[in-house]
Amino acid sequence: MLKTRPWVPYLYVLPAFCLIGFIFAYPVAQVFNYSFRLIRGNSGPWVGTLNYQLIFEDPTFRSAAKHSLLLLLAVPVLLAISVLVSVLLYERARGWKIYRSVLFFPFILAVPVVGIVASYMFTLNGVVNSLLGAVGIDGPDWIGDSNKALWTLMLVIVWREVGFGIILFLARLLSLPEEQLEAARIDGAGWWSRLRYVILPELRGTIEFYCVIAAITMLAWVFGYVWTLTKGGPGDATTVLELYIYNQGLRNSLPGMASAVAVLLMGATMIFVALLFYVRRRQHEEEVA
Amino acid sequence: MAVDEPLVRAEAVPVEPPRRRLGAGRFVRQLLLACAAILALYPVWFMISTAFKSNDQYLDNTYGFPWPLDVANFSGALRGGEFFRWLANSAILTFGSVIIATLFGALAAFAIARMRFRGRDAFLSINVGLLIVPPVVMLIPLFTLYTQFSMVSTYWGVIILYAGLTLPFSVYLLSNFFRAIPRELFESAAMDGASHLTILSRILMPLSAPALVTLVVVNSLWVWNELLIALVFLPDEQKRTLMVGVTVFQGRYNLDVPLTMAGMCLASIPMFFLYLFGQRLFIRGLTAGAVKG
Amino acid sequence: MTDDYLNRALSRRRFLKLAGGGIAAAGIAPILAACGGGSSSSSAGTTAASTGAAGETAASGGGEISMWWWGEQEAIGIQKWVDSTLAGFKEESGITVDPLLMDTAAVIPQFTEAAAAGKPPDTQFLFNGIYHMENVWLGYLQALNGLVPDETLAQSGATVLSVYQGKQYRVGWYIVGFGIEYDKRAFEAAGLDADNPPTTWDAFLDACDKIKTSGLIPFSAGVKDGFFGEWYFVNTLTQALDNPSQAIDLFVGNLDWTTPEYYEQWSKLQELVENGFINEDANSLELYQGIQLMETGKAAMTINTTASLPAAQEKLGENLGYFVMPVYGTGAMAGIPITDTQGFGIPTDAKDAAASAKLLEYMHSEERVNAMWSESRALPADEKFDASLIDDAFLKNVYETWWVGDHNAYVADLMPTLFWTDAMFVNSQKILAGEMTGEEAGQNAQDVSEKWVKQNPDIVANYKTWAEDLAAGQ
Repeated sequence: MLKTRPWVPYLYVLPAFCLIGFIFAYPVAQVFNYSFRLIRGNSGPWVGTLNYQLIFEDPTFRSAAKHSLLLLLAVPVLLAISVLVSVLLYERARGWKIYRSVLFFPFILAVPVVGIVASYMFTLNGVVNSLLGAVGIDGPDWIGDSNKALWTLMLVIVWREVGFGIILFLARLLSLPEEQLEAARIDGAGWWSRLRYVILPELRGTIEFYCVIAAITMLAWVFGYVWTLTKGGPGDATTVLELYIYNQGLRNSLPGMASAVAVLLMGATMIFVALLFYVRRRQHEEEVA
Repeated sequence: MAVDEPLVRAEAVPVEPPRRRLGAGRFVRQLLLACAAILALYPVWFMISTAFKSNDQYLDNTYGFPWPLDVANFSGALRGGEFFRWLANSAILTFGSVIIATLFGALAAFAIARMRFRGRDAFLSINVGLLIVPPVVMLIPLFTLYTQFSMVSTYWGVIILYAGLTLPFSVYLLSNFFRAIPRELFESAAMDGASHLTILSRILMPLSAPALVTLVVVNSLWVWNELLIALVFLPDEQKRTLMVGVTVFQGRYNLDVPLTMAGMCLASIPMFFLYLFGQRLFIRGLTAGAVKG
Repeated sequence: MTDDYLNRALSRRRFLKLAGGGIAAAGIAPILAACGGGSSSSSAGTTAASTGAAGETAASGGGEISMWWWGEQEAIGIQKWVDSTLAGFKEESGITVDPLLMDTAAVIPQFTEAAAAGKPPDTQFLFNGIYHMENVWLGYLQALNGLVPDETLAQSGATVLSVYQGKQYRVGWYIVGFGIEYDKRAFEAAGLDADNPPTTWDAFLDACDKIKTSGLIPFSAGVKDGFFGEWYFVNTLTQALDNPSQAIDLFVGNLDWTTPEYYEQWSKLQELVENGFINEDANSLELYQGIQLMETGKAAMTINTTASLPAAQEKLGENLGYFVMPVYGTGAMAGIPITDTQGFGIPTDAKDAAASAKLLEYMHSEERVNAMWSESRALPADEKFDASLIDDAFLKNVYETWWVGDHNAYVADLMPTLFWTDAMFVNSQKILAGEMTGEEAGQNAQDVSEKWVKQNPDIVANYKTWAEDLAAGQ
């Protein structure tokens, strides 16, 4: 840690603090306020915890929450693919520069573009099933079957989002000291043991960061995919919390209930993050001390 | 980030490629990467090849090679010339907000990663917590706020909004990266009498080049691709962004798949070229961070 | 090729609720039009088709009013009529109208937000039923009685769903009918009488069976976006009802969806699915992709609105046919065509309600009503229309059957959105996926109605009053 006069750090944090405060403080405060009211238009009467009760009684909310939690299964998948591919690239496999560009490419496409293109590809008689049919496989009804739609959605999300993970881990790997790896190599450590004992420990901070980002993406930033690919259907098979918030808040004119869900989401993340920081601080203090 | 005289030279590239081993391992690696590359590119190929088909060709064969090439879809999609105005609007918003978010984010992350102060963890936790606030919920109160300050339908208002919304992510990403840089570097620089700003601009920034470039790329993509806010806060048709334009476009032509795909291609081209031409910088940024020692 | 698609009529409902990526959220935008520096001519949420917007205003002696409208997306070409009407109105009254063509998804939400902020336009486009009644209940629209002459109100074709507590809040504009469109060649190929489509459910099933044997898809659908489900639901549920007020009774829980006659529509859908009469990719297609199967010769029948018929005529020509949903139900409303109308109203906070009322009256002058057909080929809702002007036998027959003759209200205009998202949308998709029976669909509908009542205690009372009005009015 750098030694500073006590007020100096605040000076650095000030611009970001002010901007974040300006953009978030009032809206987030209002979200809390709304969650205790029956809002019609811009205001409404205080109803206590009624919105929260209504949410927990609502089967649509329960299935949306379940689907959002299921989407979290994509986090380890994203993590595994990005670490594996970035390590392969880092080892300068032949043509690694080309692969790097190619694998990042999906991430530069806009979410609506990805969702729209996928929605045409995955229809029952779409190009994916035509290709599978050409090699003799009878393809499933990717987005029309309730048991498969959520997995198709996850596939499409992973397809685009994994590019970010690959680049992130590659950037971290490229800033690692090479000697350590060379030493391990000279010691005769195999590929897996180098990964396990040298690379993964070095990536720990980045892995933690990426898991948080990926989890948040899955919980709170998938609306664009859902909307363009399945609209929440078939039935409620791909209804996620974000779509529930959108439906209750904007379509069903119940911003109070939508805000209550948002409060719960924020609360859950806060607890998760606080735990993470608690664990990390203890480790950090051991290191720094 | 001009780096005239780095106190510590980030001497890096070209890193010597680790010796290549022959045999099965190498083959498996190539196979894995090739499969990944095909999976990554096929939907893109589908989008591009379909855009060059006539609707009849598409209905006849969804995955065949587009021949003869039909470019009518592109002229159809470009008709009216609105496309270029959308493009310029998106560019203005992206440029402005990414600069602000990166600058403010770097300053804050520096303090968080390298200084000890009360409320540090709380501030960082708040940043992470804010990442999860779904923008849909904040829309109504945000709009009320913007109305009070007469900031709706202005470029600068939306630039500030985007910068503010991407700032929590920026702070989080940069503080994470800054933390990973060896302590000894600052401590010796600080002992040599370098000021904090010097340390930030001469050591941290160059060493974090990969992170900074990554952040700029990710934030640019986010702003460029954002739909909801653009729609609500820039209702003036003259200020419509590319994503809003594309969505309206798809709604009108969704039965004509090739025409829709041509629109999707056009919407993706700007970011594609930015990536293509910026790649050199992007890669230099990435490799410059590969510090030895 | 592309122009063909440019001209395709778009359903209002499709976009109204579609609101991709939050387009509906744009509802808030007009406040800023109001706060953003006086000029409400900023084109909040206009569609890309704003090219033809009427000339910008040049204030003249008679004052200036603003009008937010919609319709070009559905009744392609109606813009021409709007332009000439506003020009004629200026000449006659000296009042300049500043028109703003709104986005489909935004036209109502944007109005609601603007009205909440006290900055609505003087004249506002309104969909029928609940889409404007919610604004009536919030106090954002004023009754037209006394502002617009009673005769105009009565003749305008606003329908019973524009009336609440004896006050009328809307004047009609053009009509939108609902039914089944079919390809006469497919009927002939299956050995059916192409000029006499089925009128009973049994005859319909028989026709489906013969068409299926002939190798075509009998009935095409695309349910992914939910609009097929809505159209099918209205065309069939109506058969079980004696009066539109019964639909409200179902939505607010006075009647029970688990009664067999009230879930029969979903059992019938299940029957169609189980017999293989509907295309098997229905769940992965959107409404118009489903309709396209019929219009490209892969299917024999599909569900569509009268507003889309001119576009379908361009593809099928003489082979296009259109009929009322075949009957199985025993309600008084069974077998009668279903027709809705678009319309206009005057916001409570309009700056110049008198001028706006004059504009509505001018729109309903005989000359303007007839011009709607001659200039834009739209079918007017006003009774003054001289139907002998329609020079197309097919469309003339549609007009006479769906509007001049006895017709029903469109009961989805009474449906709470929650019922749309959680019951109608879910049921139609699950039945098409073979995962739900008609009876289970009824149970789900009942659960959703109870849930809605619980979540919206403040609106239920209004709904009940409205149901009493409708029941008394019949």
